Amino acid sequence: MNLQEFKEKLFHLGGQHGFTDMELYYEREEKFACELYKGEIDSYDTSEVFGTSFRGLYEGRMGYAFTEKLDEESLSFLIENAKENSQFIEDEVQEEIFAGSEQYEKGSYYSANLAEVTISEKMNLLKEIEKHIYAYDERVTGTDYFMLSSGETERVLLNSKGLNLSEKNNHAGIYVSVIVKQGDIVKNGEYSKFTRDFSILKPEEIAKHAVEEALSQLNARSAESKKYPVLLRNDAASALLQTYIPIFSAENTQKGQSALKGKTGEIIAAASLNIVDDPFLEEGLLSSNFDSEGVATARKDIVKDGRLVTLMHNRKTAQKDGVESTGNAYKASYKGALTVAPTNLHVIPSDQSYDELVSSLSEGIIITELSGLHSGANTVSGDFSIAANGYYVRDGKVQNAVNQMTIAGNFYELLNNIEAIGSDLEFSMGFMATGYIGSPSLLIRELAVTVE
Amino acid sequence: MLSQSVIHDVITAALATGGDFAEVFVEDRFTNNLALQGGKIESSLSGRDYGIGIRVFKGLQSVYAYTTDGSKEGLLKAAGNAAQAIRGDKIIQPEQLQKEIIPAAHPISLNPREVEKLRKVEVMKKAYEIAKNYHNSIQQVTVRYLDEEQNVLIANSEGKFVEDRRVRSRLAIQSIAAEGNQMQPGFYGPGAHKGFEFMENLNLEHYANEASRIAVTMLGAEPCPSGKLPVIIDNEFGGVIFHEACGHGLEATSVAKENSVFANRIGEKVASDVVTYIDDGTLANEWGSITIDDEGEKARKNVLIENGILKGYLIDKFGGRRMGMESTGSGRRQSYRFAPTSRMTNTYIANGKSTPEEIISNTEYGIYTKYMGGGQVNTTTGDYNFAVMEAYLVKDGKIGKPLKGATLIGNGPKTLQLVDMVGNNLDHGAGMCGSQSGSIPVNVGQPMIRVSEMTVGGTKGGE
Repeated sequence: MNLQEFKEKLFHLGGQHGFTDMELYYEREEKFACELYKGEIDSYDTSEVFGTSFRGLYEGRMGYAFTEKLDEESLSFLIENAKENSQFIEDEVQEEIFAGSEQYEKGSYYSANLAEVTISEKMNLLKEIEKHIYAYDERVTGTDYFMLSSGETERVLLNSKGLNLSEKNNHAGIYVSVIVKQGDIVKNGEYSKFTRDFSILKPEEIAKHAVEEALSQLNARSAESKKYPVLLRNDAASALLQTYIPIFSAENTQKGQSALKGKTGEIIAAASLNIVDDPFLEEGLLSSNFDSEGVATARKDIVKDGRLVTLMHNRKTAQKDGVESTGNAYKASYKGALTVAPTNLHVIPSDQSYDELVSSLSEGIIITELSGLHSGANTVSGDFSIAANGYYVRDGKVQNAVNQMTIAGNFYELLNNIEAIGSDLEFSMGFMATGYIGSPSLLIRELAVTVE
Repeated sequence: MLSQSVIHDVITAALATGGDFAEVFVEDRFTNNLALQGGKIESSLSGRDYGIGIRVFKGLQSVYAYTTDGSKEGLLKAAGNAAQAIRGDKIIQPEQLQKEIIPAAHPISLNPREVEKLRKVEVMKKAYEIAKNYHNSIQQVTVRYLDEEQNVLIANSEGKFVEDRRVRSRLAIQSIAAEGNQMQPGFYGPGAHKGFEFMENLNLEHYANEASRIAVTMLGAEPCPSGKLPVIIDNEFGGVIFHEACGHGLEATSVAKENSVFANRIGEKVASDVVTYIDDGTLANEWGSITIDDEGEKARKNVLIENGILKGYLIDKFGGRRMGMESTGSGRRQSYRFAPTSRMTNTYIANGKSTPEEIISNTEYGIYTKYMGGGQVNTTTGDYNFAVMEAYLVKDGKIGKPLKGATLIGNGPKTLQLVDMVGNNLDHGAGMCGSQSGSIPVNVGQPMIRVSEMTVGGTKGGE
């Protein structure tokens, strides 16, 4: 059954069952991924999937259900489950089906050039990168993750109030993790990059980045455990920011899971900090003209000169707080319920380079990588104690890598303890929270550092 | 789910370019997900996942294609896309499919699909009431309910044709205690390879009270000291440390390419004598248990480390090719969207001889961790980290004041050598494990253990 036919049958059946307003959300996704290991294809994945979710108002309450099968059986599955599910919803503010915004931006986040890149061109890029990886240094022994992925997604939102929105986007990404060995010491170094412009993926540069990162860890030593000024390099800073993004969601303040409740308009960070959510970023992975409720998206300041300008809202959280939706309604896919998430959210860079920030440190620690963020960072209290890798700095110069460390502190305090912001904005596609999150390097006045 | 003749044709198409093995995985999964917040049901979501994964091997090359299009044309197209990556001259014909009936090893008595959602809501509300009423500093309680029925069909070019139904249930309770500017969470998430009978027999009092007790206790906790200290890790979910410190490093995913610190070390002493480490997918109705793995192999009990000696690895079909070893029934995946790889099921440290009282009274100064959060490992270097949810200072053989903000870091192989006491109170805890083939249910378990020295990272600084 095609989508249009399915929608008509579904809305008809829904009407018969007593649903008033109804929505069908549809996603179709094509993906390709390939991993190489020592010249051979280690894995090669291709996929094409689609799925739909239905939501509808039944006796004034919203019910949800989804399916990946567009057949007759699914029609009644969706209607019956959405109806049963709607019966238990007790939220004082009810969701509504949205008739649409007055106006939508017309940005395109689909690159026709990228769509034309063939599988063999992608494989050749991987082969080229791998050649450079092994040629770069004799201490390279292998890779433990080396893959290219690309994909395109089409989203369609149809509802009984006449809204009909659709959008297509695509991207390609490279992930490299290189292993180096010197004597008994084994280390690895990672690099990843996402883009819609295939031509910026330069094999030599990618190989150099990853191998240098691994090599720089080989001379790791211990250091005194104490409080240090800490320079969070752009990749580590964006990973930490991503972990704490949920505190900027009105959904979380309303649930008592963020200390930013009631702080809108107040100073919450150092005056140099500016955070923006930009759905129209050309290279942004989450760029979009409408959110998952069909609300027009908008570029907005979240933090300006250290002041909290707004939380992120969908229509329901906005109604609870008596404000307008910020266009941040989000569904992880057709499977998820509606929630709140950023699009392309980032810290605005300054004009101070990374090297200048390093040379400003008389003694300090640079953090290049954080791990265990999913468990070591408490988004409710803001406290974190996280495993880290990085370097020891004295007299403005990197002296050596440091054995595995932990850094500990509190994120709400950290926002106030930002001493300087770099010019080196970089985005990372993390796995902690939704959103394409970026940050330049951030110099933090002081964090507790424990070295293994 | 699909007829044998269609599957036979799909396998034939997948082998058309010279593959030497092909497999079809069909999944039809029904899920219910409910969330309760502040005493009220906030969301109730039901869904049906349906898709097919097709895998082809040629030597050490693995190709995977998946689709939600279950029509014969859709499947042949996906098989063709997969075959496109294979180049070989020898075309093999698949074996005739032989349907094998494997009796369910984990019987289900009450299929959650046949239980009214209202009964599920009642369980959640009861858990909420208990957790909320624990103490007046409990500000917020979230209860999540999950059930799923995953039906799978696995067939391959060696003639395998098996079906399996996996039913799982889980309840997750998170309490937040608040006082002044302080907020602390506490969590407990029991789960089982069972139907709704699991919820009916669950000791809600215990789990809901524990979630709140942890939150309230941590409100009054002091910052954790940092440095190298003896660490006592309590039973049940405490086993997450070995899941990270050595479980992942024993998976074929990293061993096959010799990227693991444990590669090529069978028969060697890799841990202290008191450590015996087992992965057992056959434990009756446990959260991480399976009847068959996602490659159709029967679940088994695999002894990985015995009295400190490395005995074996966790191996899937493809990893086994590179290693020249047989599958250990460890091929698992989140869904049809992932090719299977070697994964854990229920992994645990076997009971030792010490009593928990002996372990604590033998510790002059150190940390006692009662509940763990999650963790992570770099299998290449063996460096791991994990978060502690509830910890206490141990002084002069006695448990003292609660500590917050503790993180443990270390190196798997080193830690294994430093386990100096193993208790006799083995128990298991439920968790989700994320890796290459997605997020899957696993149990971690252990009796209380002591590690003579671990690096504790805290906010307080060194002592």
